[in-house]
Amino acid sequence: MSPENRDNTTKSSSRMGYNITKRVAWIAGIFAGILSILMIANYIQIKSVDPLNSKAISQLMTRLQENPEDTALKEQIRALDLLARKAYFTHQWQIRTGSYLLFAFILVLLLALKYMSSLQSRLPDLSKSAEPDDTWKSKLLSRRYILYGGLGLFVLAFILGILFQTELKNVGIVKAEGSRAATDFPGVDEIRNNWPGFRGPEGIGIAFHTDVSTEWDGSSGKNIIWKIPIPTSGFNSPIVWGNRIFLSGADRNTQVVYCVDTESGEILWQTELNNIPGSPDQRPQVTEDTGYAAPTMTTDGQRVFALFATGDIACLDFEGKRIWTKNLGMPDNHYGHASSLITYRDLLLVPFDQNTGGRLLALRTRSGDLAYDQPRDVEISWASPILVNTGSRTELILNSNPFVMSHDPQTGQELWRVRCMQGEIAPSPAYSDGMVYVVNDYARLVGIQLGEIPEVAWEYIDDLSEVASPLATKDIVIMAASYGTVTCFDSKTGERFWIQEFDDGFYSSPILVGDNVYLMDMSGVMYVFKADKDFRLISRNELGENAMTIPAFMHGRIFIRGEKHLFCIGD
Amino acid sequence: MIQSRIHRGKIFIFAFLFVFPLFCMSQVPERFPKPDFQTDYTRPDLLTPTPRATALEYIDIFVLVAALSLASYFAHKQRSRRNIFLLMVFSLAYFGFFRKGCVCSIGAIQNVSYVVFNPAYAIPLTVIVFFILPLVFTLFYGRTFCAAVCPLGAIQDAVVLKPTQVPSRLENVLGVLPYIYLGLAVLFAATGAGFIICQYDPFIGFFRFGADFNMVILGMSMLLLGTVVARPYCRYLCPYGVLLNWLSRLSKKHVRITPDECNNCRLCEESCPFGAIKKPDEDVPLETKQVDVKRLAVLFIVLPVVLLGSGWVGSRLYAPLSRGHATVSLAEEILLENSGKRTEMTNATKAFRASGKPTEELFAEANSIQHNFKVGGWIVGGFIGLVLCLKLIGLFMRKRQIEYDVDKGKCLSCGRCFAYCPYEQVRLGIITPEEADKMGSREVKPKQFRA
Repeated sequence: MSPENRDNTTKSSSRMGYNITKRVAWIAGIFAGILSILMIANYIQIKSVDPLNSKAISQLMTRLQENPEDTALKEQIRALDLLARKAYFTHQWQIRTGSYLLFAFILVLLLALKYMSSLQSRLPDLSKSAEPDDTWKSKLLSRRYILYGGLGLFVLAFILGILFQTELKNVGIVKAEGSRAATDFPGVDEIRNNWPGFRGPEGIGIAFHTDVSTEWDGSSGKNIIWKIPIPTSGFNSPIVWGNRIFLSGADRNTQVVYCVDTESGEILWQTELNNIPGSPDQRPQVTEDTGYAAPTMTTDGQRVFALFATGDIACLDFEGKRIWTKNLGMPDNHYGHASSLITYRDLLLVPFDQNTGGRLLALRTRSGDLAYDQPRDVEISWASPILVNTGSRTELILNSNPFVMSHDPQTGQELWRVRCMQGEIAPSPAYSDGMVYVVNDYARLVGIQLGEIPEVAWEYIDDLSEVASPLATKDIVIMAASYGTVTCFDSKTGERFWIQEFDDGFYSSPILVGDNVYLMDMSGVMYVFKADKDFRLISRNELGENAMTIPAFMHGRIFIRGEKHLFCIGD
Repeated sequence: MIQSRIHRGKIFIFAFLFVFPLFCMSQVPERFPKPDFQTDYTRPDLLTPTPRATALEYIDIFVLVAALSLASYFAHKQRSRRNIFLLMVFSLAYFGFFRKGCVCSIGAIQNVSYVVFNPAYAIPLTVIVFFILPLVFTLFYGRTFCAAVCPLGAIQDAVVLKPTQVPSRLENVLGVLPYIYLGLAVLFAATGAGFIICQYDPFIGFFRFGADFNMVILGMSMLLLGTVVARPYCRYLCPYGVLLNWLSRLSKKHVRITPDECNNCRLCEESCPFGAIKKPDEDVPLETKQVDVKRLAVLFIVLPVVLLGSGWVGSRLYAPLSRGHATVSLAEEILLENSGKRTEMTNATKAFRASGKPTEELFAEANSIQHNFKVGGWIVGGFIGLVLCLKLIGLFMRKRQIEYDVDKGKCLSCGRCFAYCPYEQVRLGIITPEEADKMGSREVKPKQFRA
């Protein structure tokens, strides 16, 4: 064979190889294309049968919630769920298999293209005249590009640094009035100088600001300094710290905390608390006389805390900004949760006695973290805690059925218990001079002498209080009943000193202000009488609207939450 | 014309074939609750490779040593592009598809960084070997690891169809990106935030036949770009390439275009798709040199300021960067929920709240991590500032180039340029030395460059 023929043969076989490879490339490409289309279709289909977001299953699930015993519906859901999952995994398998096949076709295509490329000689084009490489000019441009690029990077990073700030650096630093450090908590004097919770400092119904008015009239405006409407109702009582009043309100749709200026009555801020993580979708069933915002708020002087019937609990700063919120779980409570909050050092104490069992929770005031969750083997209760120094220690005392129990507020550990109560407990305990007083309707009024082993010193079984908490001094105990009687006892012996009948019943509790007792009935009439062994009425003052809350006494003023308004009373 | 049409066709086909179906593939690893099927249900395989037995790890090391040795042998002794290519295919199959891209030398940077700052971490021997061995080979023989062993390089090399030359000024600017990526990867690993090189490995999804949707898109984009810009990840992102580049410059032996002396025939001029061939250049006027010397002096004077400035800016980025850390991210989510800015709890926050761990503890941990990011930001920022300054200084430096040669830092030792050299043809016995000389003299003489 001549060289020319050999050349021709080589060229011819090369061309043939090229053509065959080209066809292979086409075939591989077409198959890969078809496969691609199938996989795209599969992808679209797979999206539509995502079982996690199946509308049909969701609808059936909703129906099941309404009718949880429907077995046929359960079976239908199971069948549909199984079908959707099977479809999903079949699609997954198809995609996986398709991927392998696609990979194979692409590999063939690649090899074919590479081979075709290798058959085509691509010699460098030297026809152009040789141009010397202008490296220096290129370097000059590169320098500029790097300089500008570096500057751009610098500016971009700077802007990003400014735009993306972190809130974490501010965590735990809460703006507070005064110069108290963020880790501080108020001392006894500071607490007593304010009205930080239900029934005032320590929760025992004793006011330390005694220079308050004894006469007023809501209808004529006498001694009413200001009166403002509170948009959202609530049976919680106002608390006061410094020149700010805090109270909460809630209905089926909203939960809100108000801050009111003590001087002007202006609502300084109101913070809605509707988007709390874990909050139940459906509001609990509550009775009209309990509502969604029965627990009275509390404050440690830097933060305020509010609890609602939904189990939502919130901590706000004094400007109304949320510090933390959480849901404690929906209270299993047939009237609505009503036990109020109280703080001890850096702990927020939450009595949480429900139908499902009793608990005492302690949350860190700064973070809301759970410090302890102390189980309590008691029945459901609506009473609020008192926090008293009984001589050598501070005790958190709770009235509950069947036990009156005392806990170490720091650890939650039970200190003592006395079995003496029964029924649905609403009145909170009272304390004075080494004795604890508890009461409940259809049960008894009990005086418990504290000591190594606390024991019942005396009891009384008539004219018992249903909601109002008793008030105790060193000498007397006063008890107000929901059917309108007020009874006074010797605190040591339980001897009845006097009993008085009034026009209306009492839900609000008596408060000791100096030598006087302030007690408001359900129609908003405040009776002021001497805290004495003999009944001496000082004044009868009408508010002008119903009221069931506890008044707050601060700096010569009385703050009363009526059914619709918040009143400031003073001379 | 036909050829260009074919190339256009190829690119179109690749665009169609890769993007859409792999878009679907990306959906494969979606999280899904364990189904309650009948007894014949088999759980799907995991996407991430399970731990290997120690004996098999040694096999991996053996394969790595063998591959590196062969790559160096093929590049230096045989000068065989074909064998390098075949070895590359093997590496793609073994380290890529069989080993599913793990362990890899690029990712090993993070393990090493992590163990430096967290001595309690027990780093596997395989990882150390995979990190060090390619560096050692590079120090002796140049980047033969990139040429034929690295699966990430291999998958990109496989799709190079019509490479174009990237202008050197752009190449220089883009060349800064791997340093930034390296700095961030070390920062994230050292602070325990995560192994971002692995998380954002654009090709791992192909090796494992499944990946996050965004990563598949990124990988596809890389491969599509790679058809016209050869190995874009290796050149403009690979953090390990930074180390290899440094060591390759110092390499004892490095491949050259010609096995003999360069006669400046220009045949190899466009042969390198990575722009790693240095061309003969011309001298510059004295005035230009004097201006450059002054500028260089200014650069040296402002260097400390640049370092401090970039370090400071780097430290200011601690907030966005630290969000890459799971603890910081969780702490911020908890904070958002607590403040009511977020209404729905995430699975992470639910789990955290259920754990009973105090949030103050979480916040303290997050603050500590952010502090580490702040310190790390200073270092990384300063490092990037230094890199920029050194790049600029390098561009002021001048070394006359009188013949065609490889840029030892950039050259991947892939051997593509070998066949273009007439003296390589002589070495292979295809043409005679005289024919080779003619090829040189036929076109242009070296002195013409220096006119």
